Amino acid sequence: MKLSKEKSLEFYEKMLLIRQFERKVYEFAVTAVVRGSVHLCIGEEAAAVGTVMSMEKSDYLLPTHRGHGQALAGGTDPKKLLAEIIGKETGLCKGRVGSMHFFDRENNNLGAQGIVGAQFPIALGVGKAIKNKKIKSCVLCFFGDGASNQGFFYESLNIASLWDLPIFFVCVNNLYGMGTHYKKTSKVGVTKKAELFGIKTKAVDGNDVEEVYSNSQDLIKYVKNNSKPVLLECKTYRWLGHSAFDNRPYRPKEEIASWKKLDPIERFKTKLLDMKIKKEEIEEIENNVGKIIAEAADFALKSSYPEFDESIMQ
Amino acid sequence: MKTIKYSEALREAIREEMIKDEGVIIVGEEIGQGYRGCFAVTTGLYEEFGSDRIIDTPIAENSIMGIGIGAALMGMKPIVEIMFSDFVSVCFDGVLNQISKIKFMSGGQFPELNFVLRLPGGAGNGTGPHHSQCLESIFMSIPGLNIAIPSNPYDAKGLLKTAINYGNPVVFFEHKKLYYTEGEIPEEEYSVPFGKGVVVREGKDLTIVATSYMVKVAEEVAGEMKKSSGIEIEIIDPRTLVPLDIEIIGDSVKKTSKLLILEEGIERGGVAAEISYHVNEKFLDYLDYPVKRVGSRNSTIPMTPKLEKAIIPDKERVIDEIKKHFEV
Repeated sequence: MKLSKEKSLEFYEKMLLIRQFERKVYEFAVTAVVRGSVHLCIGEEAAAVGTVMSMEKSDYLLPTHRGHGQALAGGTDPKKLLAEIIGKETGLCKGRVGSMHFFDRENNNLGAQGIVGAQFPIALGVGKAIKNKKIKSCVLCFFGDGASNQGFFYESLNIASLWDLPIFFVCVNNLYGMGTHYKKTSKVGVTKKAELFGIKTKAVDGNDVEEVYSNSQDLIKYVKNNSKPVLLECKTYRWLGHSAFDNRPYRPKEEIASWKKLDPIERFKTKLLDMKIKKEEIEEIENNVGKIIAEAADFALKSSYPEFDESIMQ
Repeated sequence: MKTIKYSEALREAIREEMIKDEGVIIVGEEIGQGYRGCFAVTTGLYEEFGSDRIIDTPIAENSIMGIGIGAALMGMKPIVEIMFSDFVSVCFDGVLNQISKIKFMSGGQFPELNFVLRLPGGAGNGTGPHHSQCLESIFMSIPGLNIAIPSNPYDAKGLLKTAINYGNPVVFFEHKKLYYTEGEIPEEEYSVPFGKGVVVREGKDLTIVATSYMVKVAEEVAGEMKKSSGIEIEIIDPRTLVPLDIEIIGDSVKKTSKLLILEEGIERGGVAAEISYHVNEKFLDYLDYPVKRVGSRNSTIPMTPKLEKAIIPDKERVIDEIKKHFEV
């Protein structure tokens, strides 16, 4: 598949936006602007952009605990997301819940997930509602390789398949569930697990945004035309730790270095240059992203923390 | 008025709301085909509304909960049936971390979030440790959940109709020994509001606050004590535990100055402890005796009859406790 110049630049901008956003969140984490933990997706930008940007307006999204990139790819305002992450009242959810639990209903984002794998059964309900309402739509249910070992996963694959629900399961396989390599957690690959239930699957280079995108487009079409679930595994790598304060003693340096060579953004930039897109145009995008992030940070920092108000009591 | 069973009253509520609103669905095991409702609540609804809305699932409680949660997020009005309330442990994440927290977590992005979790509880039929528990108190300590617990067909129908359209998640406790009991309900449509208790029986000497099947036990106690010692017991059924109508309990305590709270759940950390706190806070000056609670003894529910009877509160034990505690 050949991407148009316009689409290519859009993808580049979005991937860069996610990376710079996550860098800003990291900076906020190490300077204690962020409370609690944040789970960053640096290195995994192509998996988020290639899948989510295949969605149509009427599709739904269930992000993971590592979901900033998935949300940003889905159109979430970086200002509101960053404000939410640092607990400010201008945040998506009034600053109440932060990085792991945000919703963005305006962009059909039905809630990031602090409980690994809890999104699977919820996806069944969204899929069933789509079917009942007879709308041409689907739900993107994100998960990591680690979540594929949760019981939720198997129940949900079974029912999604049994009832032909329009669910696009997207596995962002970054090799590690927290600090444990996938090989230490399962003898069976993620796609095999889904195939057992008769679900169509595909595994792709998750660091190649074009490959992720073209496969996602085909799969979403398949989901909607046949009302059947599919599973896409994006093989990628988490550059940083599980959370911002993880020194990664469990990973060999060579492994990190080899994956950094497959940087989805640098690889795509090389492609853009091969497409004869001018350096100036690329720089303009880079400058623009820098501006968006600076503005988002400024907005988030200047916003107030929400005050206690009895109406939050339930 | 017409006479109807508790299970039929629940079915009428579901059916009426399903006719009114296509978004009302019910999800659970054996509710449509197969058993056609383990306690006959949903019998006949599959034939009328079909498999899109009377949704039989595999034995997979996590999925049942998830289907309800996802449908609620999509603006529908799901009713989730867990066959026995004990099985809710299997899908507790959906209760504790998901549906109860969505309104708060989203910062108001879901002003209307309709969701009913129906949980049949209760012992007394020898169903043993995994099919007998009354778990209300566990749910009372989860912010974001509302709790309805009808003791008769009238309230069963009226409260369920309110629950389906409540705009907030509701945990709806039913009781296995009540399903086949009968009562009168109006021919015309009605509903019962949340947070409004009822005086089930008037009396001046002692107040018993009871819910669900324990209202029946309280009525037996009141009847017998009236006969044996002329004591007039007032029975209050709060009908919903969250929100709780503390005023109706207070009004009764002002009259009787004696309060016994009767529940089928385990005594330790129970519903009675919570109600008792509120009574102490607001109405302590009216009490002649400390509040007394009677609930299931702190034990796993046994199957064998003598042990089961020893654990679950019954008429004899309640009368005994009244005599001891209130010196009557």
